[in-house]
Amino acid sequence: MYAWLLAAAIAAAPTDPSPPSTQSSPQAGSQSAPQPTPQPAPQSPEDRAKLERDIARELGASPPSTQAPSAAPTPTPSVQADTTGGSPYARLLLMPDISAIGRAGLSYVSPITGQRSPRDLPFGEPGRVRPVFEELELGLQAVVDPYARADVFIGFGNDGVSVEEAYATWLNLPYDLQARGGKFFAPFGRVNPQHPHTWEFADRPLALTRLLGPDGIGGAGFDVSWLAPVSWFSEVRVSYQSVAPADPSGTGTRPAGFLRSSQFFDVGERTTVGVGASAALADEEPGLRNLVGGDVYVKRRLALTGAYLAFQGEALARRLAGVANGPDGWQWGMYAQAVLRPDLRHGYGVRFERAPSVFEGAGGGDFRTSGLFFYDLSEFQRLRFQAGWDRLPGGVNGFEAIAAMEFSIGAHGAHPF
Amino acid sequence: MIRTLVMLCALALAAPAAALEVVTTTEGLASITRDLGGDAVHVEALSRGSQDPHFVDANPVLAVKLRRADLLVDVGLELEVGWLPPLVNQSRNPSIQPNAKGRLTVANAIHVMEAPTGPVDRSMGDLHPGGNPHFLSDPRRVDAIAVAISARLAQLDPKNAAKYEARLADFRRRLADARTRWEAKLAAVRGKPVITHHRTLTYFLDWTGLKRAGELEPKPGTPPPPSHVADLVGVVRAEGVRAILVESYYDLRPAETLAAHSGAKVVVIPGDVGADPAAKDWFSYEDLLVSRVAQVIGS
Repeated sequence: MYAWLLAAAIAAAPTDPSPPSTQSSPQAGSQSAPQPTPQPAPQSPEDRAKLERDIARELGASPPSTQAPSAAPTPTPSVQADTTGGSPYARLLLMPDISAIGRAGLSYVSPITGQRSPRDLPFGEPGRVRPVFEELELGLQAVVDPYARADVFIGFGNDGVSVEEAYATWLNLPYDLQARGGKFFAPFGRVNPQHPHTWEFADRPLALTRLLGPDGIGGAGFDVSWLAPVSWFSEVRVSYQSVAPADPSGTGTRPAGFLRSSQFFDVGERTTVGVGASAALADEEPGLRNLVGGDVYVKRRLALTGAYLAFQGEALARRLAGVANGPDGWQWGMYAQAVLRPDLRHGYGVRFERAPSVFEGAGGGDFRTSGLFFYDLSEFQRLRFQAGWDRLPGGVNGFEAIAAMEFSIGAHGAHPF
Repeated sequence: MIRTLVMLCALALAAPAAALEVVTTTEGLASITRDLGGDAVHVEALSRGSQDPHFVDANPVLAVKLRRADLLVDVGLELEVGWLPPLVNQSRNPSIQPNAKGRLTVANAIHVMEAPTGPVDRSMGDLHPGGNPHFLSDPRRVDAIAVAISARLAQLDPKNAAKYEARLADFRRRLADARTRWEAKLAAVRGKPVITHHRTLTYFLDWTGLKRAGELEPKPGTPPPPSHVADLVGVVRAEGVRAILVESYYDLRPAETLAAHSGAKVVVIPGDVGADPAAKDWFSYEDLLVSRVAQVIGS
C-alpha cells in the first residue's frame, strides 16, 4: 500500500512541463465543450468495502455482504433504433420458456414378477402386453427478477395433475451460497433429484422405488447449498422438506431434513468423476425414518460429438423405527449401471440391481439385470428398448420388457450434469 | 537517478495488480481475448476446440471456473444453451448472469446471418431461432467481436483501458494484414461449390465467396439418411464439387461415403482453436482453415 502511494507520489511529482492536452477545445471557456464520459476511479477492494459500509450507515441499512448482489444487470437487449408502435413481440419477450415432455410405451411384466415383486410405471398389468402412458411433464422456466429464477414442472399422469416441482432459486447470495424455496425433489442420491427424461434407463431403479417411494422423495420446503472454495466442485446441500410418509397407507406429510455432499473432479481432459453422500431423517409421527446413501458417477467422453462411456451406481439404506405398517430395522438396496453411447444417436446399457423385497419374511431381496438399447431420432425424440431378467424371492425367475418413447417440444432448460 | 531507483523499488514492493479473470465458452473466444488483454487478463475456456460446442457436458467442474470470473464471454444465439445455463446457475457468481455487467454475448456485436424471418418449428431441424452462431471463422465478424471484447475489458478494468485500446489497434492491424493475405490465397476458390456437414461455415462461405452446394445433414442436427447422401452424389457430380468440408468432431463416415461415390475429397477442418496442433491461436486456426480449403479447392 505504502509502496503504491510512494510510486504514485513520485509519478505525480513535477518533472517536465506537461504538453498541452490534445483534447482541449479551441472554444474552451467560451462555451461548454462536450465532456468525456467520466470513468470511475479504480478502487481497491478495501476502499470499495469501506465505501459500501459508509453508504449503508448513512442510509440506515444493514452492512452489505462481502459479495454484492448483482446490481448490475444492465440489460442491453437488441433493439431497433426506430420502431413504429413498439415491438409487436413485447408480451412474447416476457414469456417464460415453455416445454412439454411426453413419455409412453408398450410394456410387459411376467405374472410371477407382478405377484412377488410388484412394479410401478412404466410397467402395467402383469402378464399382458399393454400400452402405457407415463406422464406429460409441462415445464415453465424463467428469470423472476434480478435476484432469482423460477422453475415449475407440472405432471399430467394417469392419476391426475400434480405439481412435481415449483421452486425459486436465489442466485445472488453471499459466501458462495445458493437457496431454493418451493416444492422440489429432495437432494438425496443421484437419480432422485433428476427428471425421468434425463435417465439413461426407462425406469427408476428398484431400490429407489422401494426405499424412497415410487415417485422418489421430495416435497415442499427450502434448501441451502454452499460451494466450497476449492479447485474442484465441492458442494454441500441442506434441505428441510415435507415428504410423503414411509407408510404407503399413511396420509399427510412428514417433516424431514436432508444433507448431501457432492464432489466432482476431472481426471485428465476427458474423464469426470463424481462422488456423493446423502443422509436424511424424517419424523414419521410416530416413529423415525433414517436414510443414508452413497453414489458414484464416472463419465469418459469419447472423440465424436455426444459420445461417452458412463458408469453410475448408488447404494442406500433405510431404517424404520416404530413406524406404523413398516418393518423395523435396516433395509438396503443398490444398483450399478454402465452405458456406452458411441455416437450422438444411439447407445447401449446394462444395469444390475438389488432391492429389498416388499413382502415381509420373503427373505433376501429382489435382483434384476437389465439390458438397454436407445436410439435418439433427434435431440427431441428418443426410443428406448429395455429388457430385464428378475431373480425373485424363493429363487424363481421373472421377466419384464418395455419399449418406451419420449418426445419433447418447446424450450426446455438444460439440466445439471 | 535516485528518484528512478526509489520508484523501481516502490514498484518492486508493490503487490502485482490482479489480472482480470475472464472465462470464455470456446477456445476461439479465449484466444481473441488473450490477444486483446495481454498480461492484464487471465483467460480460460470452458470447452475444447476438439469438442462440438453444441454438446459440451455441463460438468460441474466448469462451474468452479466461473465462480470467480469477472467476465464471461459467450457466443450466444443458443449455441451453448444445452450446457452453459446450469453452469452459470451453479457458479454462485451474480456478475456473469445474463445481462449483467460481467457477461458479454458476442453475437450482439455482429450482423447475424440466417436469422429466421417467419415462424419456425423443429420440423426444420435443430435450428438456432436467433440466427447462425458459427461466425468465428469470418475475420470480418472477428474484427467486430474484438472491438466489443476490448470495450468490455476497458469497462471492467478502466485503469488498463489505454493498454486494451493499444492492443486492439494492433490486433486489428494484424487482422487486416492477414485478411489481405487470406483473400489473395482464396481468390481462386470464389464461386466454387462445396458440401459441408452442418451449417458451421455459413459466414466463412459468405466471406470467401464459396458456394454451398449442399449439407450432409438434411436439416440441422439430423443425421444424413442414405437417400440424402445419394441425392448429394448427384449434386456433387452435377456441380463439380471438389471438397466436402467436415469438422473433426463429426462422424466422418457419411462424408467418406459421399466421397467414395462421387469423387469429391473429404477435407477435415479444425472446428476451433485447439482442434488441430497447428491451430494454436485464432490467427493460426484461420490460417489452417484457409490453407486447407485453398489447397483442395483452389488448386
